[in-house]
Amino acid sequence: MQRRDFLKTSSLATSAFVIGFYIPSKSRAQDTTQKEASLQPNAFVEIKSDNTINFIFGQVEMGQGTYTTLAMCIAEELNVNWEEINFKGAQVAPVYNHFYGPLMITGGSSSIIAKQLEMRKIGAVLNTMLKEAASKKWKVRAYDVETKDSKLINKRTKEELPFGEFVANLASIKVPNDPKIKDLKDCRIIGKPHSRHPKEALAKVTGKAEFGIDVRVDGLKYAAVLHPTVFGAKIKSFDASKAQKKAGVIKVKQIPSGIAVIADTWYIAKTALDEIKVDWDLGEFAKISTANMDKQYENAMKKEGASMRKDGDSVKAFKEALNVIELDYDFPFLAHAPMEPLSFAAHHKDGKATLWSTSQSQTLAFGAALKILGVKAEDITYNTPYLGGGFGRRGAINMDFAVEGLFVAKDEGYPILTLWTREDDIKLGNYRPKYKNKVKLALDEHGDITAFDAKVASQAIFKGSPFAMLYKDGVDGAQQEGLATHPYDIDSHNMQAYTMESPISVLWWRSVGHTQTAQTVECSIDQAAFIAKKDPIEYRKSMLTNKRFINLLDDVALKADWKNRKKEENVGYGVAIVESFGSICAQIAKVRVTKNDFKVEKVWCSIDCGFAFNPQNVENQMISSINFGLATLLSSEITIKDGATVQSNFYDYTVTRISDAPDIEVSIINSGAKIGGIGEPGTPPILAAVANAIFDASGKLYTSMPIKMV
Amino acid sequence: MLTKVIVDEKVYNVDIDSNTPLLWVLRDNLNLTGTKFGCGVGQCGACTVLVDGVAVRACSTTLSSVANKKITTIETTEDKTVQKLQKFWIQEDVVQCGYCQSGQIMNAAGLLKTNPKPSDSEILSSMNGNICRCGTYNKIKTAIKAATAEV
Repeated sequence: MQRRDFLKTSSLATSAFVIGFYIPSKSRAQDTTQKEASLQPNAFVEIKSDNTINFIFGQVEMGQGTYTTLAMCIAEELNVNWEEINFKGAQVAPVYNHFYGPLMITGGSSSIIAKQLEMRKIGAVLNTMLKEAASKKWKVRAYDVETKDSKLINKRTKEELPFGEFVANLASIKVPNDPKIKDLKDCRIIGKPHSRHPKEALAKVTGKAEFGIDVRVDGLKYAAVLHPTVFGAKIKSFDASKAQKKAGVIKVKQIPSGIAVIADTWYIAKTALDEIKVDWDLGEFAKISTANMDKQYENAMKKEGASMRKDGDSVKAFKEALNVIELDYDFPFLAHAPMEPLSFAAHHKDGKATLWSTSQSQTLAFGAALKILGVKAEDITYNTPYLGGGFGRRGAINMDFAVEGLFVAKDEGYPILTLWTREDDIKLGNYRPKYKNKVKLALDEHGDITAFDAKVASQAIFKGSPFAMLYKDGVDGAQQEGLATHPYDIDSHNMQAYTMESPISVLWWRSVGHTQTAQTVECSIDQAAFIAKKDPIEYRKSMLTNKRFINLLDDVALKADWKNRKKEENVGYGVAIVESFGSICAQIAKVRVTKNDFKVEKVWCSIDCGFAFNPQNVENQMISSINFGLATLLSSEITIKDGATVQSNFYDYTVTRISDAPDIEVSIINSGAKIGGIGEPGTPPILAAVANAIFDASGKLYTSMPIKMV
Repeated sequence: MLTKVIVDEKVYNVDIDSNTPLLWVLRDNLNLTGTKFGCGVGQCGACTVLVDGVAVRACSTTLSSVANKKITTIETTEDKTVQKLQKFWIQEDVVQCGYCQSGQIMNAAGLLKTNPKPSDSEILSSMNGNICRCGTYNKIKTAIKAATAEV
């Protein structure tokens, strides 16, 4: 790569200066050779002559705090007035791509891992350039100039001028090739606790923040879509004559996913759907049910599966075992149910398109627009409002909500907001897969585990996706992560995977494969500790070699005062530790069990994410992940009967409410290890810690989720 | 038929089906998008507004039932209870995705207007109808308690 490609800048007349940046890495170096690169704005920071400063991010903000923490990274090096920064979502361009591959994506708890260094360097480059521009203007040496609160200060004369005054001068400044950045230990913003950026927080508490469904542009119309509820059902014919006559209805339109009504308001569109009569061909899946799937999964597991881990001699270990533990786990389909129902807005006119998209992958939604609308890349304007939660759903591989919004708006010539009902969100698939797992542990006379056998049967998330490399030799990445890669020192393994098929689309769900492997490993290990009559924490430590795990267990035990925990009737304590998304998280849950129910009273959570860029956000994400995960133990479950999803809305797809939320105490360990994620690693341990605590209180291990105490 | 509603101190006369839920009148007819749609069936609280000071679910409240009544939404610039809660919501760093927070704040405002010093269990039972998928519940509790502690 040429040096001059390292950094690209452009000046928009003299009113604004935008800076973009390439860091030479394998994936990005390729990007710069792509033809589209020349079309791109390459912008991360925009300084306008009116002193407006915009930070432009390719990572979407869906609650995880990415905008704030990435802004902290730029602000660390570029001395801006923190309160005054504005955020903008990026256009679709290779410069914003993720190291995951040639696409923009927010997921896998990876935004800070992927972007922190780049953002810090951008801040440093711009800071150097501003100082140089000022030194030229003031005719002083560069070290006589400093930056502070979005101003340049002449240290000799004490003159101060805002950044915006130098916009015109910046274009002639040579871009430094190798910006020096501070060590993390010397940072004054990074690593310090920061609340959500004040502008974002204010917008969100006053109703001013624009989410996907809040798009309001001139001439906007609204669409609701009648979908088949039976998976795979097709429309034979339909009569929409009554709906068509309803006041305010503009158009009824058949699209691949159903029948859309476009109207003056969404309420009119939605109520018009009730007036449409459809003759359905229910198709070949009209009889499927989760009860039948259970049988299919069980039958499949009677045969040899695809190997996900085989080492040692587990046959011999089981022959010689003093004790054998056998456990069957059941995990249902789960909907993500972000608070903001899915939506997509598009304006397709004269071969051009404007999109308002809440996709977790701008590139996937953009690609769908290219294909469906047949427009050119340069004729698409892409807008990213705030996302009202994601949890993986808005990264749907099939981009169902975007595809639908695009088909609705195609050729209509006016902007249309297509909005799903909550029922659409709950019923239309893209679920966390249903899993049936079997575990067998062999214990020797010392109570040590000599073999760990496991079987996992589920649909594969990654098979046939843009991430198909994560489906290998019959094993889905989400089947094995955390299981085949468990941290314990055990000699023999025979772990097998079974790929099941169904017409129901499946998807990653906050913490992906760990949603099923956390319990599969950590509840099984806990049972072994019980059989071995050993303390669950000491037992784990005896099998761990990684010091980070041991330190975290010690930390969480200390915080929970584990050794002095009180024996109280119907109260139990459970522990779990899981590595996911580059971080390790240990949790202890205190649970009170009543006759038919349980209440998680307290959770101690210790997280080692290498280095906490924004400790306050790390704490917030731990609380969020724990409360999110709890729902799957308490009540969330998608079941299928007669080819359709049984649940409809929050009355039967129930989630964690405020009365369910435990007290949560978070401890952050800056181990200095490689930087890990924080959006998801808090979820896996709570799943096992609570189940283990219920076992401690009641003597019963619940392995079928959600927990039904009858 | 024209229906008169007073939203955040402004008077509107809307000429639509008076059975339309208040939520959609606010969002699609008046373009007041601060009030959110979450479930449409009164199960999640995202659409909570005050009608004559009482918290209601706008998705399950018809336009005709609020004719001539005083509606307060998250977009109010006058209501002191809402403003106080907004201040503590920021101070306690409650918001994550933020989508449910309009409803959370308005529901909390309804609580404080009828019960300025709620107990912990009164806070829980009053707020239990408001779902937050980001699980910001712990900080919502802290923010409400901080707001009630301020005279």
